Amino acid sequence: MSTFRVAGRGRIDRSRPIRFTFDGRTVQGYEGDTVASALLANGTHLMGRSFKYHRPRGAVTAGSDEPNALVGTRRGPGRFEPNTRATMQEIYEGLRTESQNRWPSLGFDVGGVNDRFYMLFSAGFYYKTFMWPRSFWDKVYEPVIRAAAGLGKPPTEPDPDRYASRFLHCDVLVIGAGPAGLAAALTAGRSGAKVVLVDEQSEMGGSLLSEPSVEIEGQPAWDWIAATMAELASMDNVRLMNRTTAIGYYHQNMVGLCQKLTDHLPVPPEGAPRERMWKVRAGEVVLAQGALERPLVFDGNDRPGVMLAGAAQTYLNRFGVLVGRRAVVVTSHDSAWYAAFDLADAGCKVAAIVDTRAEVMSALREQARVRGIEVLPSHTVTGTAGRLRVKSVRVNPVVNGKVGAARSLDCEALLMSGGWTPSLHLFSHTKGSLHWDEEAEAFLPGRKTEACRIAGAGRGLWGIGKALEDGAKAGAAAARALGHEAEAKSLAVANDREGRGVTHKELPTDRDPGRARAFIDFQNDVTAKDIRLAVREGMRSIEHVKRYTTNGMATDQGKMSNMNGLAIAADAVGKAPPQVGLTTFRPPYTPTTFGAFAGYHRGSHFEVTRKTPIDSWAEEHGAVYEPVSLWRRARYFPRGNEDMRAAVARECRMTRASVGIFDASTLGKIEVAGPDAVEFMNRMYTNPWTKLAAGRCRYGLLLGEDGYIRDDGVIGRLSNDRFHVTTTTGGAARVLGMMEDYLQTEWPDLRVWVTSTTEQWATIALNGPNARNLLAPFVEGQDMSDEAFPHMSVAECTVAGFPARLFRMSFTGELGFEINVPARHGRALWEKLWEAGQEYDICPYGTETMHVLRAEKGYIIVGQDTDGTVTPDDAGFGWAVGRKKPDFVGKRSLTRPDIVAPGRKQLVGLLTDEPDVVLEEGAQIVADPDQPKPMTMLGHVTSSYWSETLGRSIALALVAGGHGREGETLHVPMPDRTITAKVTGTVFFDPENTRIKL
Amino acid sequence: MLLIHCPYCEQDLPELEFAYGGEAHIARPADPSALTDEEWRDYLFIRSNPRGVHFERWRHVHGCARFFNAVRETVGDKFLMTYKTGEPRPSEEEVEARLKELSA
Amino acid sequence: MEGRMDAYARFRPESSTVPASGPVAIRILPEVARFSLRIAPADLGVASEAFGVALPGRIGEIAAFGSRRALCLGPDEWLLHAEEEEAHVIEAAFAERYAATPHSLVAIGDREIGISLEGEEAATLLSTGCPIDLERLAPGTGKRTIFDSVSVVLIREEKDRFTLEAWRSFMPHVLGLLETANRELAAGL
Repeated sequence: MSTFRVAGRGRIDRSRPIRFTFDGRTVQGYEGDTVASALLANGTHLMGRSFKYHRPRGAVTAGSDEPNALVGTRRGPGRFEPNTRATMQEIYEGLRTESQNRWPSLGFDVGGVNDRFYMLFSAGFYYKTFMWPRSFWDKVYEPVIRAAAGLGKPPTEPDPDRYASRFLHCDVLVIGAGPAGLAAALTAGRSGAKVVLVDEQSEMGGSLLSEPSVEIEGQPAWDWIAATMAELASMDNVRLMNRTTAIGYYHQNMVGLCQKLTDHLPVPPEGAPRERMWKVRAGEVVLAQGALERPLVFDGNDRPGVMLAGAAQTYLNRFGVLVGRRAVVVTSHDSAWYAAFDLADAGCKVAAIVDTRAEVMSALREQARVRGIEVLPSHTVTGTAGRLRVKSVRVNPVVNGKVGAARSLDCEALLMSGGWTPSLHLFSHTKGSLHWDEEAEAFLPGRKTEACRIAGAGRGLWGIGKALEDGAKAGAAAARALGHEAEAKSLAVANDREGRGVTHKELPTDRDPGRARAFIDFQNDVTAKDIRLAVREGMRSIEHVKRYTTNGMATDQGKMSNMNGLAIAADAVGKAPPQVGLTTFRPPYTPTTFGAFAGYHRGSHFEVTRKTPIDSWAEEHGAVYEPVSLWRRARYFPRGNEDMRAAVARECRMTRASVGIFDASTLGKIEVAGPDAVEFMNRMYTNPWTKLAAGRCRYGLLLGEDGYIRDDGVIGRLSNDRFHVTTTTGGAARVLGMMEDYLQTEWPDLRVWVTSTTEQWATIALNGPNARNLLAPFVEGQDMSDEAFPHMSVAECTVAGFPARLFRMSFTGELGFEINVPARHGRALWEKLWEAGQEYDICPYGTETMHVLRAEKGYIIVGQDTDGTVTPDDAGFGWAVGRKKPDFVGKRSLTRPDIVAPGRKQLVGLLTDEPDVVLEEGAQIVADPDQPKPMTMLGHVTSSYWSETLGRSIALALVAGGHGREGETLHVPMPDRTITAKVTGTVFFDPENTRIKL
Repeated sequence: MLLIHCPYCEQDLPELEFAYGGEAHIARPADPSALTDEEWRDYLFIRSNPRGVHFERWRHVHGCARFFNAVRETVGDKFLMTYKTGEPRPSEEEVEARLKELSA
Repeated sequence: MEGRMDAYARFRPESSTVPASGPVAIRILPEVARFSLRIAPADLGVASEAFGVALPGRIGEIAAFGSRRALCLGPDEWLLHAEEEEAHVIEAAFAERYAATPHSLVAIGDREIGISLEGEEAATLLSTGCPIDLERLAPGTGKRTIFDSVSVVLIREEKDRFTLEAWRSFMPHVLGLLETANRELAAGL
């Protein structure tokens, strides 16, 4: 029953009725309707409750600046979106919507009692009301307020939708497709420039969609839009994007666009993303965002049925909806007069136009007279009445600044206009300056920091003709700036609606202003009184006023409230508005989903997961994984019902007893090649390399210039001029970058080059007394005897027929080999070794066993046992430093005063007095557990494991003066008890290294 | 996201291809052992961190992989110029001229 | 988690096709011999002689002869492609010249995996993760750039055909994103 539809008006498709629900009630609208327009067509103004006072509220705008009519929208499990603007959400068959901030129902809401106690909730109430008594905070305020607070309810299920993103490069990006934007895009598009035109609305046209009586080039406005859109659509160099909001304007004309793709569709296509984030780089940007209408500030200006005059005009002309049959208009701007005329012509009884100004153009007064509309100049509005909908408005004359006797006018709708604010949010993102224009009484764009142009109402121009002309000029200038030939064609406009207005602080009243519920920020329930209170309580900066009152901090980001708040704050401070200034606009322009920002980065693509060529074998054999930098690595291979401890104990046993096989492919590998390779290695690493023969390898330690350990790894000399460097898994990219840095910037004279080969090679480690017995039969081209291929050797040979780089080395203390083969052969070689290894009871082991085995030997893991403040001496690795070398990276720092000072944290072993107790990694260590808190920490546990080999726990720790504490008992306080442990050396197993020399 | 002119590729390319590399024109001393503790400290840790014109290193890590130098105005976060490693530091006049050119 | 496993289970560098998911044909390219050549620009002539192709001197340029081709990635860095059987011949040719003209030739054939993207919307597909202006990447040129967070070498073979190479372990991520975006193109929104 569309009782408020007006025949012959609007752009909705009456042949396509659509049903949706609002709070469970079925509502009928038409294709082209928004939720708000369809509800209004059915006579429903009450659409929600306010955030703080739970006051009944209706739509006050017809656009994205809407503060009140926020609804939840739902289209199935996980597809619930709170705080959707009813004024923007297009309806589709089956859409379900619900009102917010009310319980049990929209008409009767318990939270509405807040409104009775509004004196409690004045500005800064967060800081005042809930302070005392202390115990109330936990028991009353926090739980109660938490339950009542918030704007809408977030969904609880995972979001099943997909989100997309794309980069886009264009010559001219035009933001806003009203008259200025359309003219700009048309002009730039005709020049051949690559143009992108975006608009947040479902259809382009902007204010022209609400002004059908205007004629452009002899055509009715809507025909001109259709012709213009057709021409733009026909150009290959123009991309049109509706339902697309420019959310942020960043450096060098990078603009973020959020495009809504499916929220208007009854059934989204398979595979379609819900939203797409565009990162656009434009040569020139034309900002044609127009202006936003301001409300007037008076008691009761938030009652359902009170709305912006321009919104009422849009509902009528674009949606064919009369917002009420009897209306009063209150305004300080001419634009509302036109709205009054349009409504009157559509059958609305406009009881009066109340204008705050004494003087209004005679032409307007004449048109009002013709329509029988009473005109009340020099009047104010001092109140409204009606519980869930406005019933009447109280108006008073103002004579010589005195408010006269009140008079009540009945109405179903009260249309207000406090003038228009140029929309400069995006311009402000660029840090472009704003200047106060006395005549326009508005902030207008000043100095620019980006290649952008502001066109139309955004720079204070009023009227369709001026907007078209300005837009065309901006489009032409933008195209010309990029080398295109363009000319701004002027367009003849008839029936234009030019006008002007004045701006106000809150309207004068004959009542106690302290009791007036005159709202500025509708969404955050901030009133004029709150602003004045904030100033009285000492807030002087507009930024402080904003934070104290929360004015402009709601999801609409002050689109409606900003200027009214400023006018009242300026008045209260006693300064002119430009002296007070605006708060900073920040992205995004309208609320944007997390999904749009996340884009493709969710689920399996949340981040890169790197896998080795052998990973698939591990997966098939039940590996449990752990992430190591971006890699996923097999942590252990449980058999049967083994937990990690049992599996790791078994893997350790089997490896030390016979042979274990380990995927070491993630180790970083760098090929260092060139005549100066050895000189380069001498300069980079602490160790001496000159005497290392080809075919041998050595443990290498890399420092930063600050003298702290950065990385380590075994390095093989393949030939005089060529080294195979290995790095830690996580350090691979960093070490390569560091090498390139020194080569490019410090030692460009060295003839040596570095190349990452991390992923060229798959690396398989065999460790254990049977490692050679298993491997040797596969090796060709290298004598595998201990004499010919001793510990710390490297050879190029073949293994199982694959070209290989074979290292004899050990990170377990057992006889060990690392076999590098081209990555594609990694899994094949693994399988051959696995098969042959059955005879030796071969055991695949993961990173956890690798950690235990190496800790038993006191081998460190850089980044676990070191933390960026550990020197070679601190780690007990002084032997790895070639002190006779004249220089190497970090050498000078090893004699820095703080590095040679006593008391440094040094790496030691820790053995708990109770051998079954395994310390927690990261646990703090103290000398005296009975000292008063805060205790003096000596250091912390860096590595701690159950050692199956030793049948007890072992740990490594960084302890102040640790090397001098051997034999001391230290204490590790834990939440439930304090553990005692003795300081030892770091090598727990086979200190003579007999096992690796088999 | 800024556009950065790579002096080796001779193109303006998105910042995502680049990595920041700290302050520029801090050469590693030829003989660190000859430096006093204070001089070595200054080399290691003391940086100018100016508000305004900053000489800094960048690396075109996802491109030609070269390190190069850049002059960036840190208040407006704008690159004034970039130049190859080893090329002389632009003079104050050159920087001023570029600043004027950009603010025009 | 299921998505994660699926993505990897499906990916096998050995297989040459990726299930068709949209208008752009995505194929995993056969293995090739691939080298990273680092050499002083002054010695480019020697390298050209060794490789049998006049190596291009400008970053982004490609030169080819027969199945061998070279892409200039940096002032002293070239990516060389050849048929696998030719690898040893090429290595030998460079090794012969090493003493007189030092350089670094490192085999990276297994380090990367190459894929081909072909179709009218190939550039659009790439723009889902590639921040550069692809219109400025002329057919017959290439460069190292970034796709999503991954370093890649991108070659525009023809207007609507690209070759993309990435390190082996990054390729499932890149492919997964491309397939998702390809389905998106198929959906037409």
